[in-house]
Amino acid sequence: MTKDSPAVTNKKNRIREGSRAADAVIYLIAALAAFLCLYPLYYVFVLSLSEPMVAATMRVYWWPKGFYTGGYSRILTDSRLWISYRNTIFYAIVQALGMLFTCCTFAYPLSVKGLKGRKFVNIFLLTPMYISGGTIPRFLLILQTGLYNTMWALILPGIYSVWYIILVRSYFGTIPESLREAARIDGASHYQTLWNVYIPTSKPILAVIALYTIVGVWNSWFRPALYLTSQNLQPLQLYLRRILVENSINLSEEMASDELVAAAMAQRVSNNQLKYTVIIVSSLPMLIAYPFFQQYFVKGVMLGSLKE
Amino acid sequence: MMAFRKSGSLTTKHRGFTREDWELYSLFIPAAVLIIIFSYVPMWGIIIAFQDYIAGNSFFQLSSAKWVGFKHFRNFVNSMYFSRTLINTIRLSVMHLLFGFTTPIFFALLLNEVRTLRYKKFVQTASYLPYFISTVVAAGMVLSFLEVNGLINNLLGLLGLQPREYIASPSAYPWIYTATNVWKGFGFNSILYFSTISGIDPNLYESARIDGANRWQQILHITVPSILYIIAVQLVMQMGHILNTNTDLALLLYRSATYSTSDVIGTYVYRVGIHGGKYSYTAAVGLFQSVIAFTLTFITNKISNKLTGYGLW
Repeated sequence: MTKDSPAVTNKKNRIREGSRAADAVIYLIAALAAFLCLYPLYYVFVLSLSEPMVAATMRVYWWPKGFYTGGYSRILTDSRLWISYRNTIFYAIVQALGMLFTCCTFAYPLSVKGLKGRKFVNIFLLTPMYISGGTIPRFLLILQTGLYNTMWALILPGIYSVWYIILVRSYFGTIPESLREAARIDGASHYQTLWNVYIPTSKPILAVIALYTIVGVWNSWFRPALYLTSQNLQPLQLYLRRILVENSINLSEEMASDELVAAAMAQRVSNNQLKYTVIIVSSLPMLIAYPFFQQYFVKGVMLGSLKE
Repeated sequence: MMAFRKSGSLTTKHRGFTREDWELYSLFIPAAVLIIIFSYVPMWGIIIAFQDYIAGNSFFQLSSAKWVGFKHFRNFVNSMYFSRTLINTIRLSVMHLLFGFTTPIFFALLLNEVRTLRYKKFVQTASYLPYFISTVVAAGMVLSFLEVNGLINNLLGLLGLQPREYIASPSAYPWIYTATNVWKGFGFNSILYFSTISGIDPNLYESARIDGANRWQQILHITVPSILYIIAVQLVMQMGHILNTNTDLALLLYRSATYSTSDVIGTYVYRVGIHGGKYSYTAAVGLFQSVIAFTLTFITNKISNKLTGYGLW
């Protein structure tokens, strides 16, 4: 399933004819689809810079009304944002590295021809794909092992994936056996062969797995919400959930007690605007990054669709 | 076939367990330990569905466990929550099949007809964007836009509709949930179809054109048949997931006002199990869901193997 080179695609496009009207309709629907994907976030950006009262009633569509950066200065000085940001980056790096480690180590022996017990290992590996304990037993296990409310509750179950092991195993299977033989004859141990021959050769698939893991960590909120109660350990998504979904913003609690009702109302309005600000601040890194690594995701989807 | 290894690797010269063997098998250890602890132990933990589990007990403390057979299953089936969560789950799944499953296919077919390569790439990249917006942010945007003085009500106001609190409306909830899901996933889910379409031999179109086929006929007789088998396999896999909804999203969008349409098995287990502490009962509900899902996957896989020759196993 190779992608067409631009030349071939152009040729294909050129040879297919249709009426101008049909073209216009197709281009218009495509534009509408792109608009629906881009506009909501752009709209949030517009709101985040508009005057708080305007943002509250959402009577603005294309361009910020007024220019208000108070939301940004408030959110950017909130230490809890940065703690949760740091936590997410930490979890993403650790889990991506851990995932690569467990995938490569487990897949390597399976790629050795004539391994004793391969059948047993495969059954061991595949069973969890079809039978799972479910939310409650998993949660109770975390409680019983004492991992609850430690970062390990997130990291340890998050650094292995049966599916990714299978992907790496298939990839390792395509590496010629003669490469291993050559390394072994030169006196390399299996560890060295894996590290010096297999891992460098498998960079494309490893990049795909690392990126999928990072985006998965970046997105996830359910498991952190289950296992982490301490705000110092929680990732960015839980900070966002408190502001966006639970509406509990108290960036300036110390003020609230001696403020008048009117001031409290104003506070409420600008708190509401903080939502838009925090969406922009928290989504920006991913939005800047994804166009550059979308090719890896395309590759991942294709690998995932291949049957054994 | 496992008695003797085939010759070919250096380790096969020794019959016993050599140092190289140790190296090889030791590589299994890291992932195997994690799989045993975090995948197999919870499987064993399912036994609490047949007990009155006491919080704090270990899954392996069988002597003090109080066995109750199928009590929790009976309780669930006889409760009002059974039909409610089951119907809601199936309703959302069917809506997902109707809209979430079909939109990526139509989108891929449509975009394939766009001839300007740069424009095509732009729309494609734009359509992936919602996938990279986190579920929490997507839900937060939906909640804001749906407020009484929010964007959606402002726009509907232009059509003369009175503002309503749609997020608290049970009849609106399935549409809100489905639309959010479709928005987040349609671009990304179309990748599979894009790639398949781009693999079609251009000569097919050329000869069709020589035979006088217009664009619509080319789509109908070349493009669609070429992706039909992928569609079939995807559809079969979806059928196996009919009891799995996107709990991550549902938990953020639903509220007690909409339970009558929004409470699905996943959210019910979370609310009553994790928050309510009824571990044994919700483990039973979860097991009920898994067994049905497994059976459905098994049946649909059989059908898929028959029809397309492809399946999960």
